[in-house]
Amino acid sequence: MINIDGSQGEGGGQVLRTSLALSTVTGMPFRIESIRAGRPRPGLMRQHLTSVQAACAVCSGTAAGAELGSSTLEFTPGEVRGGDYAFAIGTAGSTTLVLQTILPALMTARGPSTITISGGTHNMHAPTVHFLERAFLPIVRRMGPSVCIDLLRHGFHPAGGGVICVNIEPVLRLQPIELLDAAPVTARRAIVTISGLPGSIAKRELAVVRNELGWSKECLQINQISDEAGPGNILSIEIEREDLTEVFTGFGERGVSAERVAARTIKEVRRYLDSNVLVWRHLADQLMLPMAIAGGGAFQTCSLSDHATTNAKVIESFLSLKLQSDDNDDGTCCVRILS
Amino acid sequence: MAITLAIRPRVVFGILGTTLDTGKGPKRWERWRPTVSLCQQDNFVVDRLELIHGKRATRLAQTIIEDIASVSPETEVVQHTVDMNDPWDFEEVYSVLHEFATEYQFDTDREDYLVHITTGTHVAQICNFLLTESRYFPARLIQTSPPRKAADGLGSFSIIDLDLSRYDRLAARFEREHTDAITSLKGGIETRNAAFNRLIERIEHVAARTTDPMLITGPTGAGKSRLAGRIYDLRKHRRLVAGNLIEVNCATLRGDGAMSTLFGHRKGAFTGAASDRSGLLLSADGGVLFLDEIGELGLDEQAMLLRAIEERKFLPFGADSEVQSDFQLIVGTNRDLAGRVRSGDFREDLLARINLWTFELPALRDRPEDIEPNLEFELQRYARDRGQQTRLSTEARKQFLEFAIGPAGLWPGNFRDLGAAVTRMATLAPGGRISRDVVTEETERLRRSWYQHTAGEHPELNRLLGPASVENIDLFDRVQLEAVIQVCQRSHSLSEAGRTLFAATRERRTSVNDSDRLRKYLAKFELSWDDVNAGM
Repeated sequence: MINIDGSQGEGGGQVLRTSLALSTVTGMPFRIESIRAGRPRPGLMRQHLTSVQAACAVCSGTAAGAELGSSTLEFTPGEVRGGDYAFAIGTAGSTTLVLQTILPALMTARGPSTITISGGTHNMHAPTVHFLERAFLPIVRRMGPSVCIDLLRHGFHPAGGGVICVNIEPVLRLQPIELLDAAPVTARRAIVTISGLPGSIAKRELAVVRNELGWSKECLQINQISDEAGPGNILSIEIEREDLTEVFTGFGERGVSAERVAARTIKEVRRYLDSNVLVWRHLADQLMLPMAIAGGGAFQTCSLSDHATTNAKVIESFLSLKLQSDDNDDGTCCVRILS
Repeated sequence: MAITLAIRPRVVFGILGTTLDTGKGPKRWERWRPTVSLCQQDNFVVDRLELIHGKRATRLAQTIIEDIASVSPETEVVQHTVDMNDPWDFEEVYSVLHEFATEYQFDTDREDYLVHITTGTHVAQICNFLLTESRYFPARLIQTSPPRKAADGLGSFSIIDLDLSRYDRLAARFEREHTDAITSLKGGIETRNAAFNRLIERIEHVAARTTDPMLITGPTGAGKSRLAGRIYDLRKHRRLVAGNLIEVNCATLRGDGAMSTLFGHRKGAFTGAASDRSGLLLSADGGVLFLDEIGELGLDEQAMLLRAIEERKFLPFGADSEVQSDFQLIVGTNRDLAGRVRSGDFREDLLARINLWTFELPALRDRPEDIEPNLEFELQRYARDRGQQTRLSTEARKQFLEFAIGPAGLWPGNFRDLGAAVTRMATLAPGGRISRDVVTEETERLRRSWYQHTAGEHPELNRLLGPASVENIDLFDRVQLEAVIQVCQRSHSLSEAGRTLFAATRERRTSVNDSDRLRKYLAKFELSWDDVNAGM
């Protein structure tokens, strides 16, 4: 039984999800205490319970302590089986975070899978479907498995109601890859997804992108979706290179002007473009897990966040390998999986 | 999948809020809608929502149900369309919700129930509160509150359990009130008898929760009337009764006067009815009526009383129309009412009506532990009434208690005897100090008066020897001697009496002299065959 301290790092839900994912992959049971101790309302919330439920489902596992508000959980995985799975998350919780919990196991399982998850598709503090589709999954596919995500319906906070469908053709072993050299940028795109809000918001955001980054009209796109999804506004900025696409996301918020939403996102894009870095912060967080499961590989990124360092520690408690990060003089950092 | 859920599924009853729950288009998600918000909480899942609404709100209900499906796929929503024409009409709303709660199949072992009180008119909220408080909804209340900053309409919730004893601070207060109530029912006496203390706890529980009739039984002087007064005080203190305590001893009611005293009469109803009289039942309107010695009540009065209890109405003597009186009834008796029913002296239906809460007060001799605290109480009462402190010396107290608790302490008049004894001792105490001499005098007096009281138990013995001599014979011998004398009186000769009395040993012996044995036995008490049969 592996013991995990849920309060490490920022004490959030990521420690739990990474543990569930790796336990399912490795077949090693674990016990986690002080779940989400760093949050105002600690313990398991509804969306975390759905992740536990999903992990149990794909491997016929058992979980003790899977109750709302519980701060301790014992998870015993069984054998992973590909197949058709459907999960529904309350409170417009993130579908992508649930996917993140079970994807590593299903992409190395015996037999293909189709997963349908309903809930939120574009949540703050979670990768958006767009990010997974454009940035993360292309890299995963290079490691062997075929993973495709379909956004059937948008789901924004707080209305939820979004649906994603993910098809997985697994491989038995992931191939290690290296993402070290930043090739020249080949394309750029800014897409505003908007629902239930005045269209002027989208135009104002794109106007800022155009002015600040000096991009041509062809790079800008508005994706107006039906009002049914409830109010939602997402700005996605893509920077495409030959072997990698980075996606930066801005979330429209009540009480925050369209200009500010765009400006915040652009600031991040600028920092990325001005640096020599290939893999930016959020993608780095996502890549650690599949790379570690592949048992090797490396990527070049910016200096690691607390979030990433904590994630690395949890990974090292399940897998007998080391995630070594070497800081370079130019502010970049190289993360290497050493077995 | 094996997630073990120890928690019972949560079922929430809620009225659709035709004001708070409304909202159209995407903007509705920015509004705080209590019913949706209830299902949107991170740390709280509604497994089933029983949504109550009027016919006119069907469309709104549909939107709410769809929105709940989106934010809370775990929640099953069950719609209940009710007929509520005026949601501000208390009577209508209460009866609709009452009917709903009565017909609903609750399974409290399997499900955890909550009543959402944030939506609906204030009238509906009050009705839901009342129905939950009276356990028609075996539920806790749940209240949702709007978010501090209107951003996503999530807000928060809190659960209110109307079982107030669950709240620490309130529980401490309740405990104090409970203790005070018990103390007051005991008249401030620190009684030690466990059975009696249990009885008082039970009376407190019942007295504070119901206004149904209460029946207090027990021997004379056991404190029935005093207890009735204290029950009244307790109810008055808890605001369960507003009117007065009307006390009457039914043994004092005889003939025409009985009807008129209880139920009143109209002027000219009978000879001597010079003016209207309202009667005790009417005086007790809104208050408590204590009928002591209910077993002595005549059959006509019993019939009237039964109607007055059941209908809250009765017909005064000579009146054309009935009058109303809403009183709480306490009755006392030292009689075996069931026996009186069998002998046709007491109405069975009246007994059934008053026999709901029956409390039997034990006799003082069955509560020997309580004699000392009651002695103390009576001394203080004397001091209060006469303005004069009186104390027992340690020796005197010991002597009195030995007598009072000992086999001689029969206390046939119970507290009335004890009170009288203390009054006498205190009055005779030189300088406010009750000495051993005063105690000796009192215990002798009690012994003699109780002897009179028990004299009826050994009539022949008393007749033959006189009370003074009988008092010197142990109870052990008294019982035997009385039986022997009675056998002698039924027999024709000493030897016949001997044969009867020693029949068992006779069977086993060859030669006996029963007559001699009997003669010697009687002689021990200075009695002869002739004495015993003299005057027979």
